[in-house]
Amino acid sequence: MINLAQRDIAHSLGKFLTTATGVGMLLGVVLIMIGVYRGLVDDASILLKDTRADLWIVQQDTLGPFAESSRIHEDIKHQIKLFKGVKDVSAVTFQSLQLYRNATPIRVFAIGYDIGSFYTPHLLAEGRSIIASHFEIVVDAKTGFKLGEHITIGRDIFTVVGITRDAVSSSGDFMVYFSLPDAQKIQFLSSNEQIRNDRARGGAQEATTSTANAIIATLHDGFDPKEVAQEIERWKHIKVFTQSEQLDILTKNLVERSSKQIGLFTLILLLVASVIISLIIYTMTMGKIKEIAILKLIGAPNATIIKMIVQQSVWLGILAFIAGNIFSHGVVDLFPKRTILITSDALALLVIVICVSIAGSLFGVKSALKVDPASAIGG
Amino acid sequence: MENQKSVIKVEKISKTYGAGESAVMAVKEASFEIFKGETVALLGPSGSGKTTLITMIGCITEPTGGKLFLDGKIIYDNGWKIHDTRQLRREKIGFIFQSHNLIPFLNVEENVTLVPIMNGLSDEIAKNKAKELLDYLGVGDKLHVKPSQLSGGQSQRVAIARSLANNPKIILADEPTAALDGERALSVMQLLKKLAKEQDVAIVVVTHDDRMIPLFDKIIRVNDGYITKE
Repeated sequence: MINLAQRDIAHSLGKFLTTATGVGMLLGVVLIMIGVYRGLVDDASILLKDTRADLWIVQQDTLGPFAESSRIHEDIKHQIKLFKGVKDVSAVTFQSLQLYRNATPIRVFAIGYDIGSFYTPHLLAEGRSIIASHFEIVVDAKTGFKLGEHITIGRDIFTVVGITRDAVSSSGDFMVYFSLPDAQKIQFLSSNEQIRNDRARGGAQEATTSTANAIIATLHDGFDPKEVAQEIERWKHIKVFTQSEQLDILTKNLVERSSKQIGLFTLILLLVASVIISLIIYTMTMGKIKEIAILKLIGAPNATIIKMIVQQSVWLGILAFIAGNIFSHGVVDLFPKRTILITSDALALLVIVICVSIAGSLFGVKSALKVDPASAIGG
Repeated sequence: MENQKSVIKVEKISKTYGAGESAVMAVKEASFEIFKGETVALLGPSGSGKTTLITMIGCITEPTGGKLFLDGKIIYDNGWKIHDTRQLRREKIGFIFQSHNLIPFLNVEENVTLVPIMNGLSDEIAKNKAKELLDYLGVGDKLHVKPSQLSGGQSQRVAIARSLANNPKIILADEPTAALDGERALSVMQLLKKLAKEQDVAIVVVTHDDRMIPLFDKIIRVNDGYITKE
């Protein structure tokens, strides 16, 4: 049997491919939006996953350190380590910083950690992790800093000893890593002027850097994180979250609204793409009214005409999908924030596009079935 | 002719468009018979009802009254459709149009084989038949050419081949020579006449060209919806 859809596409291949490319770019934007959503959710959990901790010990009555601020005495880590089941601990600090590279400001999220502990930047791609207690820094590749480069922060100069890849905070800022003492100094040490001012106000406090934002801990195999967390909470005036609870706080409290926003936008974009595909198929069908009338006149069954329109529509959808994938993969790296394109999302979109193409072709089919074969006669 | 079996028989066939006061009766109780191998001209001024009549014979337009028989079988009976007319058109009727009306995205061979293949003929047999017809009509070398690359005369020959490809009982031609110059028009009409005799197929031609009249076995004149002379 002659495949009418295939012949018609081949007859006006350039026009068909151009149309498919246009629709494809729209589908590419849909894919990118899904990728932005994936990136947002994944970014939120990168830091958590990178710690490979089982427990997060934070200030009492807070959801710290990401959803709410948390301050905790660093030395608690020694007591935590004595709890049954706890394998290792590390005090950690988190803070946003602005670094400068060639006078260009770069917003980063700084993590301080115990260099002798289990924690190390697992996303390290070049160089090494921090081994000296002071003046070494690990940065993410997207900050632009190179190995061995020097960075001035406050009165101190740090040397880049390691480069990570795709290490970002829940807000998408590139991560940098310090030793705990350096990070504490940056975050908690008051300047001389501030100390003098505080003394003058009569409320001077001892400048302390022995503070952390959280203590993270790993457990020995076979210990239930929830049970150990409850045990620690019972003895200490602190709050303990398991890794999965901390992940829930991050995804629900921090990125849920953003996710919904992007999700809704993606849905609207998908609807627009559906309407456009329907309109294109309808216009393509209307452009073939004469041929459809001839086909009906010479006795082509409705099934043959419907098959031709639906096949063309599905082919347009598939080609647009391919174009969309090429487009989205081509531009994905241009986005400043991480955009993750995954196969399962693309396949889900393909299924949606095929359904939309079939549904969109129904308007064309309806019009084609109404065509009077007598209109092929004369002229 | 009287001893032959009629291919088309119409009895008091009518067609009314619209209803009530705005109703227009395009064909009024027309009756005639067309036999195998017969060439029939349908003549009449514009708006006389020729096209309505030919579309009713071609099972495209449904009559509002009267009876229509095709190849001995009743197709319409006083407004009732008895058969699947789409299938009848595919199997028993060939069409030739004023402007050849070939499908532009199919090549010559595909245009000719489309209907036979839809009728269940294998691709190979349909292609052989198409080649045979196109050779006979002098366009056998254009098998893989698109209609847009053919001249007017070549296109009309391909259209004739298409109309013959399903071994029809009747070919309906709506001003098939209107787009051709005098010499080519005469050549096409002579070809149709020859085919009618050789293939034993009835041919009904709507034409305005009086020069063609001597080529037909029968003339049906239509005026204001009535058959005025047969």
